[in-house]
Amino acid sequence: MKCRICNKEAVEKYCELHEKAYRSIVQKYEDWKRAMDISYREYLNEILKNSYTGSWAKEVVEKLMKDGDR
Amino acid sequence: MGKYTLIITEKPDAAQRIAQALDGKGKPKKVEENGVPYFIAHRDRELVVVPALGHLYTVIHERGRRNYYPVFNFKWAPRHLAERGAKQIRTWIETISKLAKDAEDFIAACDYDLEGSLIGYCILKYACENKEGVAKRMKFSTLMKSELERAYEEPLPQLNFALIEAGRTRHEVDWLYGVNLSRALTLAARRWSGRYSTLSTGRVQGPTLRFLIGREKEIRSFVPTPYWEIKAEVEIKKSTCEVEYERKRIEKKAEADAVVRACTDKIGEIKEVGVRKFHQKPPIPFDIGTLQTEAYSLFGYTPRRTLGIAQRLYLDALISYPRTSSQKLPPIIDYKKILNALSKEPAYKKLASKLLEKEELKPREGAKEDPAHPAVYPTGNLPERTLSDPEKKVWDLVVKRFMAVFGETAIKQSVKIRLEVNSHNFFLRGRRILKEGWMQFYKPYARAEETLLPPIKEGETILLKRVMRDDKFTNPPPRYNPSSLLKKMEGLGIGTKATRADIIETLYNRGYVTDERMVVTDLGFDIVDILSKCAPRVISVKLTQELEKKMERIQSKSEKRENILLEAVEQLKPQLEQFKEKEGPIGEALSNAIKRARMQERIVGGCPTCGTGTLMILFSRRTRKRFIGCTNYFKGICKTSFPLPQRGTAKPMEKTCSSCGWPLVRVQIRGRRPWRLCFNPNCPLKEERRKRNEMQNLQ
Repeated sequence: MKCRICNKEAVEKYCELHEKAYRSIVQKYEDWKRAMDISYREYLNEILKNSYTGSWAKEVVEKLMKDGDR
Repeated sequence: MGKYTLIITEKPDAAQRIAQALDGKGKPKKVEENGVPYFIAHRDRELVVVPALGHLYTVIHERGRRNYYPVFNFKWAPRHLAERGAKQIRTWIETISKLAKDAEDFIAACDYDLEGSLIGYCILKYACENKEGVAKRMKFSTLMKSELERAYEEPLPQLNFALIEAGRTRHEVDWLYGVNLSRALTLAARRWSGRYSTLSTGRVQGPTLRFLIGREKEIRSFVPTPYWEIKAEVEIKKSTCEVEYERKRIEKKAEADAVVRACTDKIGEIKEVGVRKFHQKPPIPFDIGTLQTEAYSLFGYTPRRTLGIAQRLYLDALISYPRTSSQKLPPIIDYKKILNALSKEPAYKKLASKLLEKEELKPREGAKEDPAHPAVYPTGNLPERTLSDPEKKVWDLVVKRFMAVFGETAIKQSVKIRLEVNSHNFFLRGRRILKEGWMQFYKPYARAEETLLPPIKEGETILLKRVMRDDKFTNPPPRYNPSSLLKKMEGLGIGTKATRADIIETLYNRGYVTDERMVVTDLGFDIVDILSKCAPRVISVKLTQELEKKMERIQSKSEKRENILLEAVEQLKPQLEQFKEKEGPIGEALSNAIKRARMQERIVGGCPTCGTGTLMILFSRRTRKRFIGCTNYFKGICKTSFPLPQRGTAKPMEKTCSSCGWPLVRVQIRGRRPWRLCFNPNCPLKEERRKRNEMQNLQ
């Protein structure tokens, strides 16, 4: 299976590097929810425009938003 | 010339210094033969001081072609046989060999470290025909006349063979790793694509790139978390001061808002005034690593640049030998003499005199030792030529650090005031220096910011002028820069003080990293990805550390060179076999990575016309001519293109035009000075230039 973003060999949905970013996104949502009480969609929007978000994480966010995926 | 003593030095500048110091009149005769300088000095007998050019010999493949691996048979040979640009080495060796024929005694006077010992040994063994066993050794840490004279009068009876053996092993092991792994990478890519590209990795380079990648992965997959800080200001006796909230981080926005609501426009009471004195010991003397780190943080010089500057200052006899890992200053260097000499320089007169007034001069020292050299210190000599600005800065830093280590402990006072507002605590902090101590000698390099607070007592009330919530986010780990990477390598114990800076430079030269804040490129990622799949042991930091430790043990004669070489071969063999089996897919992956890297190099910037495409340097399929075009052309969206000069090279500069803001391209034609090209046909600068030319023509 290929990575949905970069076409490299995938671990699950993504390659090893994007998978790491994806897991980080999922894991951090809990912190954001606790801190700001925001929805997942809002959270994705927030981290997409945040300058500290890493480039792979942003690529995953874009993909998630485009696919309406979780 | 009759019979003489041949003294071998590491570099021409050192040869001149040594000859001047040893010549009875201080005026040795300079002779030049086929471009090779040497010096004839007269002392108790005739001395011929001949320099090397760093390493004249290197490890090469014993026999066979260049385009295969694995290769485990090697020999030491003149460097010109291994390197294309080293033709000069041949005449250099020939001149030394000629001088050796009539020499009666031999003295190695190269730097007293691993590399210097090996340079001298190879010259004595190969160019002077096996004189390594009879040669004596001059040992010195500065190029000062007195020290050189002493080193000549009291030489070590023989070369330090343990140091040489350690140096030889290091070069041989590095060659085994470097040549095999680099050939494996280069050949895999070449066999797949048919195009040659230099790819390299090595025993230290691979693990270094690997931990850079570890950091890069953390940064690129980083997701920040929000937190909040409370910022507040109070007015005390007509001066405004910032106060800190008791909790540095508030994890919930609602809580932060509640604090702001509870404290805005409220009056607080001073509940506690805490005063604490603390002592700050002087800094420790510079080893090369701390000098490089300090020069980077103060002046922004890369470790390699600092090393180069320090080397020049050493050759000018202004500072001691810089490639040292010692943080100790033994009394034998004569602190008073150095300070007395430095006091002749007006800038240091007052400071040096202050230290000389002390009854006893005792430096604060660090833990690290180096058997060959003390820490870096100024010799006391003053510059005989005008130093460049960077040289001046590094010399000043070394001088002031040397003086600071003799200074007294600085005493600082911190004041912490607790202000209670509506059950919330805020803190007001002040800091002042009570006794400058060593800091007076280390100006402007010592951080000496003071925050003075107005006089205030417990029980006083203060109005909180402004309270606000500050939205913050956690930051990704910082990128390495050349200095922090050098520190990391040092901490991990990989590479040596002489090689670390060069390894970092190689990572840049190969295109594995870019920018000062080091960003790993796709090519860097692919190299490590491939190596971690096919030869994971060669990029293991742990294995490199173990090998380093074993090589260090050769110096203390508790390990043998043969065992280490055997171990290196045994480690490499299976890894290279595995690599060869997968050469096809590896070659494909590497070729694609190189292709991507080359494409990346051609990106000029965003397209100003369509706003979504990227401008790149492209080549016309029909005419083969070079131009700048938009990538959206291929999608049929944008036809933007600009002409480029067809001669020479054109590279994007990653800078923009000061007038129109368009990206710039650097054009260079052989034999001409490179120039910046703004390809915007409507750039106001071009218009100005056109008008100026017209005016000139009219005149």
